[in-house]
Amino acid sequence: MYDELIAALDAERVLQTPLALHVYGRDAGVYRGQPAVVVLPETTAEVVRVVEIANRHEVPVVARGAGTGLAAGAVATEGGIVLVTTKMNRIEEIDPDNRTALVGPGVINLDLSKAAEPYALHFAPDPSSQAACTIGGNVANNSGGPHCLAEGSTVNHVLALEVVLADGSVAMVGSAAPDPIGLDLRGLLVGSEGTLAIVTKILVRLLPNPPDVRTLLCSFDSIADAAATVSGIIAAGIVPAALEMMDQAITRAVENWLHAGLPTDATAILLAEVVGDTAAVEAEAKVMAEVAHAHHARDVRMAADDSERALLWKGRKAAFGAVAQAAPNYYLHDTVVPRTRLVETMAKVYEIGARHELQMLNVFHAGDGNLHPLMVFDASVPGMTEKVQQAADELVAACVAVGGVLSGEHGIGREKRDLMPLMFSATDLDAQARIKETFDPHNRFNPGKVLPTGARCFDLGASVPPGAWV
Amino acid sequence: MSIRAARTEVASRALLGEGVETLHPSSIDEMAETLAEATAKKRHTLIWGGGTHQGIGYRVDPDLVIFTDHLARVIDWEPDDLTVVVEGGVKIADLEALLATRGQTAVLPEDPGGGTVGGMMAAGVSGFRRARYGPTRDRILEVQAVTGDGRIVKGGGRVVKNVTGYDLPRVVVGSFGSLGVIVSCCLKLWPTPRSTATLTIEPGRLVDVHRPLAVLSDRSSTKIYLGGTEAEVGNQVTRLGGETQNELVWPAVPYRTWAFSLRVPPQTAAGLIAGMPADADFIHQVGIGEITIAAPSSDGMAMLRSKAEAVGGALIVTRAADDGFDPWGTPPPTLDLQRKLIAAFDPQRVINPGRLPGRI
Ligand SMILES: Cc1cc2nc3c(=O)[nH]c(=O)nc-3n(C[C@H](O)[C@H](O)[C@H](O)COP(=O)(O)OP(=O)(O)OC[C@H]3O[C@@H](n4cnc5c(N)ncnc54)[C@H](O)[C@@H]3O)c2cc1C
Repeated sequence: MYDELIAALDAERVLQTPLALHVYGRDAGVYRGQPAVVVLPETTAEVVRVVEIANRHEVPVVARGAGTGLAAGAVATEGGIVLVTTKMNRIEEIDPDNRTALVGPGVINLDLSKAAEPYALHFAPDPSSQAACTIGGNVANNSGGPHCLAEGSTVNHVLALEVVLADGSVAMVGSAAPDPIGLDLRGLLVGSEGTLAIVTKILVRLLPNPPDVRTLLCSFDSIADAAATVSGIIAAGIVPAALEMMDQAITRAVENWLHAGLPTDATAILLAEVVGDTAAVEAEAKVMAEVAHAHHARDVRMAADDSERALLWKGRKAAFGAVAQAAPNYYLHDTVVPRTRLVETMAKVYEIGARHELQMLNVFHAGDGNLHPLMVFDASVPGMTEKVQQAADELVAACVAVGGVLSGEHGIGREKRDLMPLMFSATDLDAQARIKETFDPHNRFNPGKVLPTGARCFDLGASVPPGAWV
Repeated sequence: MSIRAARTEVASRALLGEGVETLHPSSIDEMAETLAEATAKKRHTLIWGGGTHQGIGYRVDPDLVIFTDHLARVIDWEPDDLTVVVEGGVKIADLEALLATRGQTAVLPEDPGGGTVGGMMAAGVSGFRRARYGPTRDRILEVQAVTGDGRIVKGGGRVVKNVTGYDLPRVVVGSFGSLGVIVSCCLKLWPTPRSTATLTIEPGRLVDVHRPLAVLSDRSSTKIYLGGTEAEVGNQVTRLGGETQNELVWPAVPYRTWAFSLRVPPQTAAGLIAGMPADADFIHQVGIGEITIAAPSSDGMAMLRSKAEAVGGALIVTRAADDGFDPWGTPPPTLDLQRKLIAAFDPQRVINPGRLPGRI
């Protein structure tokens, strides 16, 4: 296989050294994989060749962007070929009239927004990892970010995709025209975590930069007050561009690392941003401040200028980095609850942490109800990893119990695969497995991800193609 | 398996022809039983919501028509979460009237007639306000569908952000029942703007307007629909000028024997409109690229379709006087995959068989 891959690409872009297999054998989460080989194609044609070789040798193909995923989506847990897209990183076109960009999957998220900046346009999904993660990874995970509250996640900004299917054929789905005829396969491919197809080109929508912005920093003496403020703002009829919460532990970690001017003596802070017409943002900022005061905010401060605003956001987006440099190991979670259940869910999060004697840090997309409890620990302590896993499972179960879901933006990957039955019936999972087997009958792409084994639990015969994955 | 669903005569029976059975399941389980039996007997089944979009797609000659009018409950409305869960047969007008009592909207089509939520989703239609709030497919959080072979399948979740499993709600939008009858769904809601205005300006005048609810243009004028705080709307009205009405005055969708939906990349729309037959009326959703057309015949539409397809768009028939003009045009290149996907949900192809592009 190695020789065939070298013939298809070239020797420098087919890696098999222990170091390469180690580096590309993991993502930013806790799982480790055992790839047989790592390839770095530059073109769609090369991706096709790799898929054909994988088919001949019956080995998995695991697509990988920057490896910043947290759910082991890009980890070759069942071996095979890791296909890295970072060399497919050309911004082929920015079309300011149609407000679109055509990009390779390996283009880094922030690079696209920088390239669009001269046209006063931006790519709305802004994951905190945006300086590293790829648009292909954003598409595969349907990634979000602080500013997805008003603008939606990646899927709302993908117009068309070029993909390589499991049989090695190339397909185009969608276009710059609205409402494609027939089934809208874009909707299935976005968020499919590399299990249905490999994305080789992406046509995205760019948004005009808003005319004006107001950013508020509200500090509170209790998590409950901050959470109630979030619910209050939503209930007041305001849909902010972003509404982010940080607790004291995470704020202190950030301030130790970079001095963003966040108050370290507050139990919780909210970063609330509204964008739009000047009159609108002024009115909305005023209402948000009133809601915060009504919920006992001890301080509400408005960013005076762009540089203060940028600093606040830098503090928010650097939060995970701040923890990563301070703790030996961390486990970052991602669940969503209905926004009206935030207060009780946050209490539950801290309760679970206390019971397992684990420190829980929280920095999250509160406006969406999207929690990111972060547990820091030392994996070298015997039994610690199991304890963290136990607490994590309890967290997810607690969120689902109040009507929440397993993941809001990080994906299911390997990490939450076995928790899928918490949300879905056997029939639901069977339907999902049928989607997988329609696209990928031999389970070539990213096996062992998203769907629990045995999801294809019953079989009505008629629709099962030969060689179906069961 | 016995079907307990009520069997009733309906007014439209005459339209459907003799020997066509009509059923009105009143629970999701009943819907599942009905469809399982349809699959067992391989009966061609038409699903009827409000009947407002039955003109789209290849003609289905049904043995059975299933009405969703007895599946019309609002199951759960959480105003503070801005979500609502409804059954598929709920009428759009009824739902919007209910939501309006708390100043909310599901941003469904503005002139829905008797259309239902499930029908609108299945047909993949969006209202004019998609310019601000996005198309319907961006606002369906959870869906429960009954597949052609009678399975009850749920996808998505009742929260505003979710990546758990494949996005079934999104692919069900526009699927014309081929993946299942939409029996319930959870919709994302928005607060209705406190202040609104409709500005009328000369057609073709270029304006720079920030996040309008919609910009609609026809042969005689361009209308800009604004919504937001009083100050925001007031400022924009002053800046843009034009004749102003302090409410949203939506146009009546033009009615002729033929109707079409032209969907093209937004910047190509003006050029295509210029080449439209002179006797056709239209509403152009500026910035979206959807043009609703009404015309006395299909003359000239083949040319328009080929131009639309050349730029990655489509021209579809939404109402036809006869079968003389293909309803969809060139099918998408992924037809084979689409056919296989539908087979996974409707193995005997009983729901709306052959209705979609490529007669799948
Ligand atoms: C510090 C930090 C902060 C983060 N903040 C956020 C946040 O705010 N919001 C958020 O949503 N996520 C966040 N993430 C998670 C992660 O950055 C995103 O999921 C990101 O989109 C992954 O991109 P990637 O290029 O690193 O993908 P990878 O990790 O390499 O891959 C992710 C998944 O995508 C698949 N994939 C990648 N490329 C392709 C392709 N071309 N075709 C098909 N499948 C492909 C992989 O198989 C895998 O399943 C954060 C992660 C970290 C470490």
